[in-house]
Amino acid sequence: MLLLGAGPHAALADSIADKVEVCTRCHGQVGKPTDKSIPVIWGQQAGYIYIQLRDFKRGDRKNEIMQRIASGFEKDDMLAIAQYFSQKPWPDLGQPRSPKDVAERALSAEHSVGCTGCHLDHFQGDSTVPRLAGQSHEYLTKTMNDFRTRARGNNPGMTDLMLATPPDDITALAQYLAGL
Amino acid sequence: MNRYSIAYATLFGLGCLLGGAANAQQEVKQDPWAPSREAKISPVTQSQLNAADKNSTNFLLTNGNYAQTRFHPAKLINRDNVKNLHVAWIFQTDVKESLETSPIIVDGVMYVTTSYSHVYALDAKTGEQLWHYNHKMGPITTYCCGPNNRGVQVLGDMVYLATLDSKLVALNAKTGDVVWKTDIADPELGYSETMAPTVVKDKVLIGTNGGEYGIRGFLRAYDAKTGKLVWNFDTVPENSVGVWAAKDATGRDMHRDIQAEKDQLAKNGDPYKKLGGGVWQNPAVDLATNRIYFVVGNPSPDLDGSLRPGDNLYTDSLVALDLDTGKYVCHFQYIAHDVWDLDAVSPPVLVDVKDKSGKTIPGVIHAGKTGHIYVHDRKDCSLIRFSEAMVPQENMWVLPTKEGARMLPGANGGVEWSPIATDPGQQLAYAINLHQPMTYRVESSPYPNGKLWLGGAFTAIPGEKQSGNITAVNYDTGKIKWQVKTPEPMIGGILATAGGLVFTGEGNGKFAAYNSSNGKELWSFRAGAGVNAPPSSYTVGGKQYIVVGAGGNVQVNFHRGNNIIAFTLD
Repeated sequence: MLLLGAGPHAALADSIADKVEVCTRCHGQVGKPTDKSIPVIWGQQAGYIYIQLRDFKRGDRKNEIMQRIASGFEKDDMLAIAQYFSQKPWPDLGQPRSPKDVAERALSAEHSVGCTGCHLDHFQGDSTVPRLAGQSHEYLTKTMNDFRTRARGNNPGMTDLMLATPPDDITALAQYLAGL
Repeated sequence: MNRYSIAYATLFGLGCLLGGAANAQQEVKQDPWAPSREAKISPVTQSQLNAADKNSTNFLLTNGNYAQTRFHPAKLINRDNVKNLHVAWIFQTDVKESLETSPIIVDGVMYVTTSYSHVYALDAKTGEQLWHYNHKMGPITTYCCGPNNRGVQVLGDMVYLATLDSKLVALNAKTGDVVWKTDIADPELGYSETMAPTVVKDKVLIGTNGGEYGIRGFLRAYDAKTGKLVWNFDTVPENSVGVWAAKDATGRDMHRDIQAEKDQLAKNGDPYKKLGGGVWQNPAVDLATNRIYFVVGNPSPDLDGSLRPGDNLYTDSLVALDLDTGKYVCHFQYIAHDVWDLDAVSPPVLVDVKDKSGKTIPGVIHAGKTGHIYVHDRKDCSLIRFSEAMVPQENMWVLPTKEGARMLPGANGGVEWSPIATDPGQQLAYAINLHQPMTYRVESSPYPNGKLWLGGAFTAIPGEKQSGNITAVNYDTGKIKWQVKTPEPMIGGILATAGGLVFTGEGNGKFAAYNSSNGKELWSFRAGAGVNAPPSSYTVGGKQYIVVGAGGNVQVNFHRGNNIIAFTLD
C-alpha cells in the first residue's frame, strides 16, 4: 500500500488540518454549514477566502467570531487555508431550482447591473471573486442586503451595485443563485 | 475602460526575475493528444517589424503594424471572390471563456492566447497545435471585465506575454519554455494585465489595468532580453489638477462644480496616488520621430468625482512619449474629471490626415466611447476635428445622481477597447460601436484597498433595446460614409484588407465581410459563439487566410466558446 503524505508535506498538511479544525464547527464537517446563515466555503475560490480572512483580521469585515479566529493567522496561513478549502468539493445543499418567473426577474436584474462581469457566466467566480451558484439562500439574501445597508463594508463596489438593485430583485437573485 | 457589467501602490518595482528551463518546463503543458513540437520560425527582426504594414505573409503586431492601421496588404481574398470563403480549420483551445486575442502569424506559425493567459503556437496552415503554455496563475488576481488576454508579440526568438496576475513573461518562440518572468505590479492592489505587449527596439511596452480599483496607472518599457525595467511613465502625474476644463473635447459643458473641487483640493490635496488611469491597449509607434502614442483610461473611482478634484490628468487622454526615455511629449484630454467612465481605451492609429487648412500632415486618430472619432495633429497632440457621433447621444453631460440619471452613450460606449481599422487609400476609419441605454448613479466611499471602487453604478435600463453598428468615417471630413446596424452591441475589433473588405464579428456568432467602400455585406459565417475578437490575416502556401477567435465576451455577456477559426479560398 502506498502511504500518502509522508515527510515534510505531511507535517504541513497536519498543520493546516489543525488550523482548519476550528472552521468545521460552523462551516461543517463535510462542507455543509451547521446554520443556513453561514456560507459554504468548501470549493469556494481561494483568492476570495484569503481576502475575507485578511479583511476579518484587518477589521474591514466585521464578525466577532471570524475576527477573533483570523487575528491569529499570518498571510501564509490564510493562503494555505484558502487553498485547502478551495480544493474541497462544493456541497449540494439540496436547494430547489427557482420557478421560471423568479429566474426571469433575477436574470433581468443581473443584466442591468452585470453580475456576470465579475462572477462570470455560470456564477462560479474566479480568484478573489466568489462562487455564488449553489450558495446558501439565506446567506445570499443576508449578504446582498448587508452590502445594501453597508452592514458589510469590505466591498464598496458591491454596496454600489446592491443599492442600484431593487429589494425585490435581490430576493429573486438570492433564490435563483441558490438553486443553481 | 469600463464595466457596466459590474455594474466594476505599492509596486514590486523590478520584481523577481525567475529564469531558467527548470521553471519553464512546468508550464509548457504536455497535452497527450498533441505532443509539443518545435515552431519552426526564423527570428523576427526589428526591420521586419518596421515594415509589417507591407508584409502580406505575416501579421506581426497586435494591430497589424506599428501605426496600428489594421489594414492588411494581402488581396487574394477580395470583393469578387469573398463569397467563396470557407473554413480552412478550427482549433479548440482548452479554455471556454471570453476570447479577445489578436492572432500573430510568423512564417506559417500562429500565436494565440486565451482567457487566463494561456498561449498556443499553431501551424497556421493546418491549425495543428505545436505547443501550449499554461501560465501558473498566482493565488490572487483582481481584474475588471473578464479574465481576458489580447495577445502576444514576437521579437527575435521570443514571444512576450503579460498575464492576469500582473507578470511579464518571455517565452522561447520555438518551444514555449519560459526565458524570463518579471513581476509588474501587485494584483492584491488591483493591478492586472490583459493587453498584448508592444515590442520595439528591444523594449517591451506594457500598461496596466486597474482603473476600477484605485491604482496609479503607468506605461512601462522593459528590456526585451532581460526583463529589467528601462523606464516608467506614471499616467497620473503628481500634479494631476490640469486647467480646470469646463468643456469636453467637443465643446460641451460638463457641469463641473469647480469651486467645490478647489475647496476639496485645498482640504485633502492632490489625489494622484489612487487616481486610476489604466492603459488597456497597445501604443502606436511613430518610427520617424521615435515617439509612442497611447490612450489612458478612467479615473478612480469611476463615477464619484467628489474625492478627486481637478482634471485628473492624464486620465481620458491621448498621450505621447519619447520611446527611448519615456519622457512626456504632449497630451490631449477628451473628458476632464470624467464621472461617466466614458474613457479612452481603443488603441490610437497613426495615419496622414488633412489639417484644418486642408494640408496633409502626420495625424493620430482615436475612437472614443463617446462615439466620436477624434483626429489629432501628431506634432503636438492637438485636436483637428471630431467626427459625427456614431451612436445616439442624449442628455450629455448630465451628472450622475443617487437615483440614477439617464444618459447616452452607456458606459461601454460608443467604441470600447475594440481596435478600429483604417483604409488610408479611402481616408476611412472603421469602428464597431455599442448602444446600451444606461443610468449613471453615484455613491461615495473611501478608497477600499484594492477592492472594486466604482463610486456608484452604471445600470442598463431594463426594457430598453440595445444594439450596435459598424461605421465607416472619413477622418479628413469627420463625416460618416456608411453605417451597418447590428442587432446587438458590438465589441471585439475589425480588420480592413487591400482586397477592399472589412471583417468583423458579432456577439451572436455572426462573422462577416463587408465592402469597405459602401458597407454592403458580401459573406458571412455562423461561428456558434460570440465573435468578439479582432481578426487577423496572413498568407501561407500561396493562400490568404482570415483568422478570428470565437469565444464570446464577459463584459457584454456574449455566448462563450473556445474556437480559433481560419478561413480561406480554394
